Amino acid sequence: MKLQSLTADQTDTLQEIVNIAMGQAGDSLARVLDCFVNLSVPRIKLIEVAQISTHMAKLVKSDMPITAVRQSFYDDLSGEAITLFSTDGYHDLSELMGYQNDLDPNTEKEVLFDVSNILVGACLNGIAEQLNANLSFSAPSLIAENTTASALLTPESLPWDYALQVEVNFSLEKRNFMSHLIIMMAEDAVDSLKRSLDAFLEAV
Amino acid sequence: MSSPEASLAPFLGTVVDRINIGIFIINTRMEIVLWNHFMEVNSGKTADEVVGRNIFECFPELPRNVVENKIKGVFILKNFAFSSWEQRPYLFKFRHNRPVTGGVEHMYQDYTFIPIKNEDGEVEHACVTLVDVTDTAIYQKMLKEALESLAEASHRDGLTGIYNRHHLEESFAREFSRARRYGGTMSLVMLDIDLFKSINDTFGHLAGDEVLRSTSKQLGALLRQTDILGRYGGEEFALLLPETNLNGAQILAERILQQVAETTVPYNDITIQVTISAGIAQYHEGMLRHEDLIKAADDALYQAKENGRNCICCAQAPDEVTVKGAGGGSSS
Repeated sequence: MKLQSLTADQTDTLQEIVNIAMGQAGDSLARVLDCFVNLSVPRIKLIEVAQISTHMAKLVKSDMPITAVRQSFYDDLSGEAITLFSTDGYHDLSELMGYQNDLDPNTEKEVLFDVSNILVGACLNGIAEQLNANLSFSAPSLIAENTTASALLTPESLPWDYALQVEVNFSLEKRNFMSHLIIMMAEDAVDSLKRSLDAFLEAV
Repeated sequence: MSSPEASLAPFLGTVVDRINIGIFIINTRMEIVLWNHFMEVNSGKTADEVVGRNIFECFPELPRNVVENKIKGVFILKNFAFSSWEQRPYLFKFRHNRPVTGGVEHMYQDYTFIPIKNEDGEVEHACVTLVDVTDTAIYQKMLKEALESLAEASHRDGLTGIYNRHHLEESFAREFSRARRYGGTMSLVMLDIDLFKSINDTFGHLAGDEVLRSTSKQLGALLRQTDILGRYGGEEFALLLPETNLNGAQILAERILQQVAETTVPYNDITIQVTISAGIAQYHEGMLRHEDLIKAADDALYQAKENGRNCICCAQAPDEVTVKGAGGGSSS
């Protein structure tokens, strides 16, 4: 199935909604983590499955080892969100999340999952709220530890040809922490997103 | 006409209460608002006892930091939160439901924290579900154990249970590069059962197998924790001795030869007497690859066989070979 790409109106609307959602997300994150959160302007892009490896490598801009967590969202909007953490930067997070005492590998993973869940939820809930869409989430799980971004997703194992991707970078002020949040919707889910965007455009 | 929701209400109450999943609701003051039957049975506290009370007062053993953090995400971000058994086996330490079959210490739990929005879109309540995933945890543990024993089996010789050739080569390469890098001492002993072919020819191959098993067992009993013993080929064994010089290796080899010569192997109605020969080489800097060490020990073993068997031959340096007898065996 070939994806009907978004119209210019739909793209503009989505960009605006995502910008607002990320701004709110940054604000709520700052309240939860009690520190200042920097985030990039979200980038929206349609990607072809064959380019996924090079695309991911470009996002991260290095071949540093990363750890990746994924989480599904479903209901009116559906897809998966992937959070990439640089492997050496996430130790700093534990303290922030209130786990100062025990830092065994399991606790470290729990911190990653918690942070990933917060990032994903904050961004997606902001989008869903504006579109008046319902959203539920599954529990986060690990895709890979200590791998490179280019090795994370390989075209052979992916069940789609095209996907819509929203990408944003987070960093915390005064902390050695940075992560990439990638929200991906495969082709069949994009249709329902387009309907939501059209409904939103009609309402304004 | 009443709405479908209204007509379902009596059912929903029962479902929430009797479903085989823990469900409870807490408000922003951390007070328990709803406590279903699953929670009553497993916690030993009824809804009457806990509803309206602060959850941490009712259950001081809860990991407060963790739970508060998850709930903060629900109230502030209006977001879901999760806790998975793989990272955190439980929040409430409940008994497992395997009083008979056992195998675990407690119930393994997955939690989902769900924001409940009011009419204004504000979140004043969090619904928490607790799923018992003890079975999953047990299967995971079994799978892990199976994979570990599979990995172990792939390093073992099927007949004798000692390490196989593959594992020996890996260990040699590892220990060799360690000795080269850090300048350590190590010795290799190659051992070969004397006249094994005639044992097979005289008593049959099953008897030969029994001799191999018995010899492996005797060798294993004489070793230290760090020594690596394996079956190198048919009736040939290799023994890698880290942090051991030629002299130490020779003392051990002498004990091995003596032990093997003095032990008879019972097989059906007969007993079989065997002897073993040994070639020893110590690592020196002239050796560039681990195969050089094997070759030196192998050459020494060949020399020991030439010298009449049941004896030890040491390769001391590339150009100097000395021979020493052991037990009742001959020497040059």
